[in-house]
Amino acid sequence: MKLRFWGVRGSFAMSGHDFLRYGGNTTAIELVSAAGDRLLIDLGTGATEYAKTLMAAEFGKGQGSLPILLSHTHLDHIQGLPFFTPFFIKGNKIRILGAAPSSGLSLEATLQNQLAPHYSPLNSLENLAADVTIEEIVPGATLQLPGFVVVTAAVPHGSMYTTAYRITADGKTVAHLSDVEYPSPDEPIDIACALAQDCDLLIHDAMHADHEYELRRGWGHSPARAGVVLAERAGARKLALFHHNPDATDDMIDEVVARTSASTAVPVFAAAEGEYLEL
Amino acid sequence: MQITFWGVRGSYPVPGAATVRYGGQTSCVESRSASGECLIVDAGTGMRALGNKLIRESQKPMHYHVLLSHVHWDHIQGLPFFSPAYVPGTKISVYALLTAADELNEVIGGITRHEFFPMPLEAVPANFEFHQVEPGVDFQIGATRVLPIALNHPFGAVGYRIECDQSSWAYVSDTAPFDLVLHKQHFLKGVEPLSDDDKLSLSAMRDALVKRLEGVDTVVYDTHFLPEEYAKFPHYGHSTPDQALEICQAAKVRRLVLYHHAPSHTDEQMDKIAAEYLAKGANVGVEVLTSFEGMTLPIGTPP
Repeated sequence: MKLRFWGVRGSFAMSGHDFLRYGGNTTAIELVSAAGDRLLIDLGTGATEYAKTLMAAEFGKGQGSLPILLSHTHLDHIQGLPFFTPFFIKGNKIRILGAAPSSGLSLEATLQNQLAPHYSPLNSLENLAADVTIEEIVPGATLQLPGFVVVTAAVPHGSMYTTAYRITADGKTVAHLSDVEYPSPDEPIDIACALAQDCDLLIHDAMHADHEYELRRGWGHSPARAGVVLAERAGARKLALFHHNPDATDDMIDEVVARTSASTAVPVFAAAEGEYLEL
Repeated sequence: MQITFWGVRGSYPVPGAATVRYGGQTSCVESRSASGECLIVDAGTGMRALGNKLIRESQKPMHYHVLLSHVHWDHIQGLPFFSPAYVPGTKISVYALLTAADELNEVIGGITRHEFFPMPLEAVPANFEFHQVEPGVDFQIGATRVLPIALNHPFGAVGYRIECDQSSWAYVSDTAPFDLVLHKQHFLKGVEPLSDDDKLSLSAMRDALVKRLEGVDTVVYDTHFLPEEYAKFPHYGHSTPDQALEICQAAKVRRLVLYHHAPSHTDEQMDKIAAEYLAKGANVGVEVLTSFEGMTLPIGTPP
């Protein structure tokens, strides 16, 4: 399985010199199986860049097929939706899978609200030319997607829940836990441990540097050390710090990586836009 | 008066190496009077950095005025990230055209719905106040006179002529030109045939715009598309620099600023556009500048 980060930034897309190495786009992660099956996690602004490579291949001809897993519908995870060009080509088959937001509104109604006429000229999901299906999942369920097995779980994110994913293909496993905050960063909840158990790569919310966390406790995001504790507890082989704070410049992220690496035997890196990583 | 550009991009923010010089954040312009009165035009993602600067300038709560052209995401997404909104005692007056929804406070509040943002607008410490604007109905904010102008954009948009300190500038974004497509309250799959009434509406809209822009010092204009891009997407509600220049020439405007750059336009392309239209403008007596993030322009010819 291969993986590419197209967007790694949390909350807000950041442009400019200070964000060039790790990247300023909000979250989007592509997974590719050995057989060439694809999967996208989240539709942040990074998805608009990914869309360009898709359009250069079969999606440009209306022959593409892609499942998209949403962690939740906060805007930084869906703001690329109206600009994800494969949606505009007839014939493409795109499945959007995610849990209903904790507000009680359905996933489909939420995405319709995003495209409501005052907010977007698209007006409605019906105006997307591709064959788009919105599939609500119940966290806890296991999904069989072409080339991937996906175990899902609800994890706490401030006053709501996000969906975490354990994705397996070709005998390799990636655990995706972004936008998550445990009652204590030193005590990851059981459901998170189970999801990350023995994974090859743990992608974890690291919105806050450890020293900033106390001021932002309860906001729904983790300090870098929460990912470390979970990786150690669950026996993850590698940890990617993810969902970087919009105020974190490249140099600041370098520092967080250095400090975090020094604290654990688990190999740690900060997720960055760019190359494919072979698992 | 002076204006500063905090976001110059259209549609969505585009981080990365290709947009470092012109900037990747979406629509937001700060207008300052000589006496320091601050008016914010559009609340795109550029508004986050503006808010951080305003907080550095003044720790004490202030009253901010935000004029919205319309409420497409690229023009409002910065509002929940405007740090002064989290200072208790701050007052934020939002002015906008009411289009496809019943209540302005619900439309603005909708961007911070539970599904989209962790904190509802009611819980944000700043005190919000909403004012509905109507094209042609002028109003006063402190020493500044604001004249709303109807624009041609899906579900409606409004431009503003802003007068203060014996000078004026205008914000004309987002808008399509006034010939091929009349945007109304429905989704356009492509160019629809125009009725005689539509044609009259378009020419009336154009005349009103030109009249409102007459004698304005600086016009900031939606020039999202290059001509070849516009030819492909004439129903998207955006203009080209040529169309903007034509309006500015008709209104005898001194200076045109290209704005709302397409997210696909790299710094290199923007350099070419800037050079080409600077020359084209010079031929017809209009100074054409290309906006970039951080650009500050004094309004009015220096005495």
